[in-house]
Amino acid sequence: MKFFTPFRKKSPWVLHYNAGSCNGCDIEILASLAPKYDLERFGVINTGNPKQSDIFLVTGPVTYRSRERLVELYSQIPEPKVVVAVGSCTATGGVFRGMYNVEDGIDRYIPVDVYVPGCAASPQLIIDALVKGLEVLEAKSKEIEKPFKLFGAIETIHNKLSRLNMATKVEPHAKD
Amino acid sequence: MKKTIQIPLGSQHISLLEPIRFKFECENEKIIGVDADVGFVHRGVELACTRSFEFKQVGYVVARVCGLCAITHSLSYTLAVEKLLGYVANDRIKYLRMLMVELDRIHSHMLCLAHTAENAGFEALFMQIMGDRELIMDVQEAISGNRVQFDYISIGGVNRDLTPELVAMIHKNLGVLTSKIDALIGLFDNNWSLSLKYKGVGVLRLEDAYTYNALGPLARAAGLATDVRAETSDFPYEDIGYKMILESSGDIHARNFLRLREIVNSITMCQNIVNNLPVGEIQEKAKGKPNGEAVVRVEAPRGELFYLVRGSGQNMLDRVRIKTPTFSAIPAMIEVFKGAEYADAPAILASFDPCMSCTAK
Ligand code: SF4
Repeated sequence: MKFFTPFRKKSPWVLHYNAGSCNGCDIEILASLAPKYDLERFGVINTGNPKQSDIFLVTGPVTYRSRERLVELYSQIPEPKVVVAVGSCTATGGVFRGMYNVEDGIDRYIPVDVYVPGCAASPQLIIDALVKGLEVLEAKSKEIEKPFKLFGAIETIHNKLSRLNMATKVEPHAKD
Repeated sequence: MKKTIQIPLGSQHISLLEPIRFKFECENEKIIGVDADVGFVHRGVELACTRSFEFKQVGYVVARVCGLCAITHSLSYTLAVEKLLGYVANDRIKYLRMLMVELDRIHSHMLCLAHTAENAGFEALFMQIMGDRELIMDVQEAISGNRVQFDYISIGGVNRDLTPELVAMIHKNLGVLTSKIDALIGLFDNNWSLSLKYKGVGVLRLEDAYTYNALGPLARAAGLATDVRAETSDFPYEDIGYKMILESSGDIHARNFLRLREIVNSITMCQNIVNNLPVGEIQEKAKGKPNGEAVVRVEAPRGELFYLVRGSGQNMLDRVRIKTPTFSAIPAMIEVFKGAEYADAPAILASFDPCMSCTAK
């Protein structure tokens, strides 16, 4: 069962938001959660709660009214988080590019880690993207978990004592 | 002291697939007032159809109005343009188009049933129906090359033909699906806990269906006999065994049941189409530029879809107007919400089969 070991480490919960898509990619996300493709075998569960989620699945080219909600949801997800943009129109605006009420892709507003091409993106691709997203998530959590040590000195910035620069990451010893 | 409480639902919520926002005015558990806000996904497709795309491309653009009934959108647009060009499709093209529309209806109805089950708290049934739905998705992928956005219909014909292997596959999958649907009908009819959630809940009365302009399965579940398939003659629906299906009670149970029976009818129609496919070309020349104004109505899975296309002999169209069935369903939905229990709201909502992408375009 070597294949499954990487996925055991974390059971990522997914938050899905429709930022103006045509529902094509949304039903493909549902289909990939359903028995035939069965994303749940990786521990993926679709939640509606941003505070419990790890992966943010976004579809749609970001309409004028959904942008604040998009950013709001993104900022409510705790770190580490991964953003997966599902569908061509999410990546670039796709067929909706240039229409008067859309913003041509979500990467203008939030950083994206994995892009899924296709109109509509097929469930196989969505699964691939989530597995890729898991890797990113793993890397990000490692980054966060790196220990800190107080190495720096107390500085004065704008006539105030600041401890901001005291904490530095513990680097592995240089090979010299 | 204030007697009522306000509960917002949406625009992002666990039981909603789509961004729609409701403001429920509740008195204890009863809903007494509803405010719906549907414009979150407005993209401006209608304008773009006349500004940035030529009339030959628009068929593929309007398909992106809605992923669930993409085929009916491109079909209605294509029919309207073909009317303007004075072109009449041959029988084989008509049959192939009908086949895709009916397959689309089956998968859309199954998705709606799955959602109603999930929103009534029956997660396992959701999974089961979604699993069965893959039989249809496989057929659609084999015929058109894509699972959701088919881009199957073009002006002057369809883009792919049926092969003997495909016909065999259609027969096999539809046969398996028939027995599964029969089992589902039994389940929806006899399961006691489902009947608690569905029977007598969210009733749309016949007069209300008239007054609030309900369309499609909504109206038929309330006993209002309206179906574009029976009213227009663009397609030979009588020849392939179309039956108007009516229920009378108008509650969630009736809507579910109507959908199940329509699926059975659509399966029969698909089998008849495949068995009696006429010979002919699948792609013909439709020459000229659209000039004039045409109106087309097509029965989408959710009701009557209306297209108006106006052109003046140029590559660009003057006007494309889309009226979707889900938009017309909103007044009826608000009426049904009033007087219902708050806990039933998600199930009622799902039984109306809302599609915000259609509603807001
Ligand atoms: S990529 Fe295509 S199918 Fe997916 S949401 Fe966008 S328009 Fe719809």
